Amino acid sequence: MSVLRPFRATDLFKFNNINMDIWTETYGISFYLSYLARWPDLCCAQEAPSGRMMGYIIGKAEGPGTDWHGHVTALTVAPEYRRLSLARKMMDLLEHVSDQSYRGYFVDLYVRCTNQAAITMYERLGYSVYRRVREYYGSLGLGRSAKDEEDAFENTGAPIDAMAVFTDMRKPLSRDPYRRSVRPGGREIVVSAHDVS
Amino acid sequence: MHTQYVLLPSFRTLIEAIDTGSNKTALSSCNKLLKKQPQNDLVKALKALALSRLQKFEEAGALCEEILASKPTDESTLGAMSHTLRGLGRHMDIITMYESAWKQQPGNEELAIQTFSANARTGNWKLAQQVAIRLHKQFKEDRYLYWNVFCAVLQLEQASDPTTLPPLRPVLYKLAHRLITTSEVPSFYSPDRFYVHILILKELGLYEEAAALLESEKGKDICGRSLICDELRREIWVLKGSVKEEGQRAQDRILKKDDRNWLEFLSVLNATFHDINSTEEPTEETMAACQDQINKTQVFFAEIADRDGARDRSGPLALLELELRARKIALSIDPSALYTLTESYFQQYGDKPCCYEDLLPYVADFNVEDLSRWTSFLRMYTLSDTLDDLRRTTNALKLIRYSLTPAELTPESENARAAQYMDIYYNGLKHGKDLADTELQHADDLLALAAHAFVNSWKISGDQANLYNAITVLEFGLTRSKQAYQFRLMLIRIYHILGAPSLALEHYRLLNVKQVQTDTLSHFILTRASTFALSSLGDLTYSTECIEASQIYQSNSLDTAEFVIRAFLTEKYSQIADFVTLEDRLDNSLQRDLMKMEHVRMRVAHEPISAELVDVELVELKFIFDRLHYDNRDFDILPNYQPRSQPTFNEQTKMFGKIPGKGWLWMFLKVYILACRHASDMDDTAEEKLVLGDRPKTNPNIEAVKLPLQERLAMRPQEELDELTSDELALVNFETSVAEWLGPHHDFIRPLPSVEHTNGTKQIENPHTTNGTNGHSKKLDEQPTSKEPPEIATQFFDEMKQRFDTALQASSLPPELLHIVTLTQEAFLLFAIETTRFKSSAVVKAHKLGAVVQSIKDIRSKAAAVLTAMSVELDKLAAADGSPERSQVFIDACQPLVASEITEEFVSEVAKKVVDARKQIVEGIAKGVAKVCKNHA
Ligand SMILES: CC(C)(COP(=O)(O)OP(=O)(O)OC[C@H]1O[C@@H](n2cnc3c(N)ncnc32)[C@H](O)[C@@H]1OP(=O)(O)O)[C@@H](O)C(=O)NCCC(=O)NCCS
Repeated sequence: MSVLRPFRATDLFKFNNINMDIWTETYGISFYLSYLARWPDLCCAQEAPSGRMMGYIIGKAEGPGTDWHGHVTALTVAPEYRRLSLARKMMDLLEHVSDQSYRGYFVDLYVRCTNQAAITMYERLGYSVYRRVREYYGSLGLGRSAKDEEDAFENTGAPIDAMAVFTDMRKPLSRDPYRRSVRPGGREIVVSAHDVS
Repeated sequence: MHTQYVLLPSFRTLIEAIDTGSNKTALSSCNKLLKKQPQNDLVKALKALALSRLQKFEEAGALCEEILASKPTDESTLGAMSHTLRGLGRHMDIITMYESAWKQQPGNEELAIQTFSANARTGNWKLAQQVAIRLHKQFKEDRYLYWNVFCAVLQLEQASDPTTLPPLRPVLYKLAHRLITTSEVPSFYSPDRFYVHILILKELGLYEEAAALLESEKGKDICGRSLICDELRREIWVLKGSVKEEGQRAQDRILKKDDRNWLEFLSVLNATFHDINSTEEPTEETMAACQDQINKTQVFFAEIADRDGARDRSGPLALLELELRARKIALSIDPSALYTLTESYFQQYGDKPCCYEDLLPYVADFNVEDLSRWTSFLRMYTLSDTLDDLRRTTNALKLIRYSLTPAELTPESENARAAQYMDIYYNGLKHGKDLADTELQHADDLLALAAHAFVNSWKISGDQANLYNAITVLEFGLTRSKQAYQFRLMLIRIYHILGAPSLALEHYRLLNVKQVQTDTLSHFILTRASTFALSSLGDLTYSTECIEASQIYQSNSLDTAEFVIRAFLTEKYSQIADFVTLEDRLDNSLQRDLMKMEHVRMRVAHEPISAELVDVELVELKFIFDRLHYDNRDFDILPNYQPRSQPTFNEQTKMFGKIPGKGWLWMFLKVYILACRHASDMDDTAEEKLVLGDRPKTNPNIEAVKLPLQERLAMRPQEELDELTSDELALVNFETSVAEWLGPHHDFIRPLPSVEHTNGTKQIENPHTTNGTNGHSKKLDEQPTSKEPPEIATQFFDEMKQRFDTALQASSLPPELLHIVTLTQEAFLLFAIETTRFKSSAVVKAHKLGAVVQSIKDIRSKAAAVLTAMSVELDKLAAADGSPERSQVFIDACQPLVASEITEEFVSEVAKKVVDARKQIVEGIAKGVAKVCKNHA
């Protein structure tokens, strides 16, 4: 049982149980407000009947021409509420709004290559890898250092020069019936962070 | 902000320096440019910006005055000025500046928008609305009409705008309604305009009209895409009494659209019980009708539950909720239904971590028989060989624990339970041995349960050994599950109780608390931080922590209002009220000022008590004294698996059993304001100079603010006193009595704050802070007579020494001793603040204060003697604390834990850390006290 409701500015006081997570970044106030001030309909939260927050999604709409799409900036569910389809429902909503309200061609997101759980989930939800993105500097404040990332790749035997940090995944919406926004073999396509946005 | 000058290379250097924050370079570029063009306002404005960033506020302010006097209209200059003034907190000046520019260029829409924004920034919705009206008249854009309307809404929503009298409410809303309906473009134009429209209708009680809009094709479409509008729609349906209709609609959504939002289920439930809930005395007929409804709903939910199976738990939970509500009004037919549903829920979802939380409300309603059946049912779950088993067993153990009665909770039984939890925990670890170190262990909650049992055992028996055990298991848990933040939070609490603050701080830092979390979570480490701070020795760890944690308030006051403005510009009206609330709650955060108070307490122990310190703190504390605080602290983040017959883990692990709140803050503010205003020679003009930017708005919702400061300082309401520990209360009484004793002399000697204030407007705004700044409006004519010091003051130090000796003999936990000692030290310091004035022999001579000064000396030397004695005792204690025997006590206590996983070595490492940390703090406080005595002898 969970209540699907809009994400609100005052949720910043309540989201600790969700954000105490290594894959979830706590940004400055401006970050959340800049999303809410533009795409409030792409931000929502799941709440337990007790009022405790369970998870949230924050998204935006962007891109020129046929690149116009919905983007998942943050999606996270508190550990105790995982595997209850909460993420699935929030993704459903974001896709629905990206499709119906924004008339986007697809939805996309970046996920850390080391975040296997999330990648599996997105695949189950119909997302496919569009490309992978290298990024050498900064760990975006995630608990793992760039060194950890490197190690993770060494362990997989991937050549260091092909080291990718983010996986860019996409799923076409109804406005892209011929699936032009996705492509097979995206995993093999590695670009550097400079080439992206 | 820099279009027209960009061509000049020297100018480009300047802009670059400003943009990159190279303020010194920027400053020198400005000076160079100003030599060539001394009247260039833009350069001056940038210079002011650089100056303010370099903290040269006075110079920056003066330059701003100069620029403002020239009434600039150039957008770049205005932009730079707006930036600078915002940094200086001078929002009122920004408003006047844009107003004047707009007046000079009435056709300039950008200036008009900026004038609107400047007003919005300060939350002055009434003035902002007037600007919006003018904007709409002149530029005819629809959005200005909505700005106008929404400013009216904000005026009314915030009772904090006292100028809007209640009878004005309907008038303003009606006006807003008329405006929206006269607009050519219907509000369907965007979800946010639609939201505003419905909101107004709601406020006016025009529910049918709202419903008609919502029911229209376009309305439905919007609600289908906007959760925000849909939320409002639900409210309207309830308000117009169409609860049943809404229930039907929700059923449709659940059935046909597969909507599993719990709100839909709640709508069905509310509809089911509506007949009864909407009358005071339901007739038999209504009861029967409701019974019938319950049966129908039951069938409906059962069908959903059947259909969804394990996919979604809404159906079974809705059945439980239905049964619980039916029981509450005696309409349950089957007394065993609640039990049966609970059991079957467990069978179905027992492998989900949230099963425990889901079932609590229903288990809480069990009768004795249900309970014993329930417990025997749960006892069957003991396995942990598969992951599914482990999860079920964890939930079963949590649920059994939840219902334990006080009779079942002895130290022995709790320790036995802890051992049981740990056994299963160890076995459960195998399911996670391949997990990456970014993941949590599946068995973590079992370890949390063990820690709960140990803490409860300590609570019942008072035996510290249990806390040692709790620490050891939690520390071990963290070696297996690095991200288990809940273990860290529990450890932080326990380390504080045991007096090992440095270890608590270490864990806190590993939590990587940042941004807004510093407001909600820093209480874990900064509550009564002065008890553990070694600022007396120059160690500023906690002071720095306070300052860093306070940064969020600066960025809030700089940034949040900008997003309010942005939301107007992007027309996201649905967000504005929340943004305003966020800003307000951070600005007036209780934690913010609790930290400030701790910071002051640490500061006086660290720094010499100078006039500057006294004046600055006096001004700041008085500001805080006018605030209406919000408590944003997050305590729910601590897990709680204690039986419901016991206090929660949070309750059990509060240091000294009390968490400071508003009352505590209020009492400490009074104490420090009392002492500082006696010590201060500041008059109003001097005080004005210390105030940077606009005075904060006083909140009209605080009754007490309307009283003279003097009276407010004397108030001692019970609910405030209740938040103090007995030792803190003693401190308050001490300062109160000293202030009463010395007050008349201070008042006679010190220069009075000028009564005639030059700036009349300020007096009207807030008569109490100006004319009554320091609480006196007329000088005493006669020298006050010297009195004997009050008994409370003369005996305080002896009594504290007694308290200390008793605590020492009772071998209390170190924090209690440190609490007594640091408060005694604080009394000594407050006494120093109160008596600095009488150190000047000229003053003593002129006012014939020989007798008073003798009494002061007596008290001071008594205080120093007591503190020295305490320091000596603490030193001894530290030596004992650090001894190998102490480690051994810890190690022995944890012996039962030692097994294949937790090794002897591990335990002794933990023991050593704890013992060292305790020794270190006790020793530090002892040294600090000695130093403070010496400094203020
Ligand atoms: C990734 C995350 C958001 C998933 O949330 P969730 O609510 O548990 O996901 P759902 O229950 O909706 O899962 C939907 C489907 O995704 C798949 N899935 C989700 N988590 C999975 C995991 N850990 N392993 C394998 N598959 C998983 C499953 O197929 C699942 O369906 P199922 O449970 O019926 O098998 C959550 O684990 C999380 O918050 N992680 C930390 C933050 C994060 O990594 N965010 C993503 C960054 S882009």
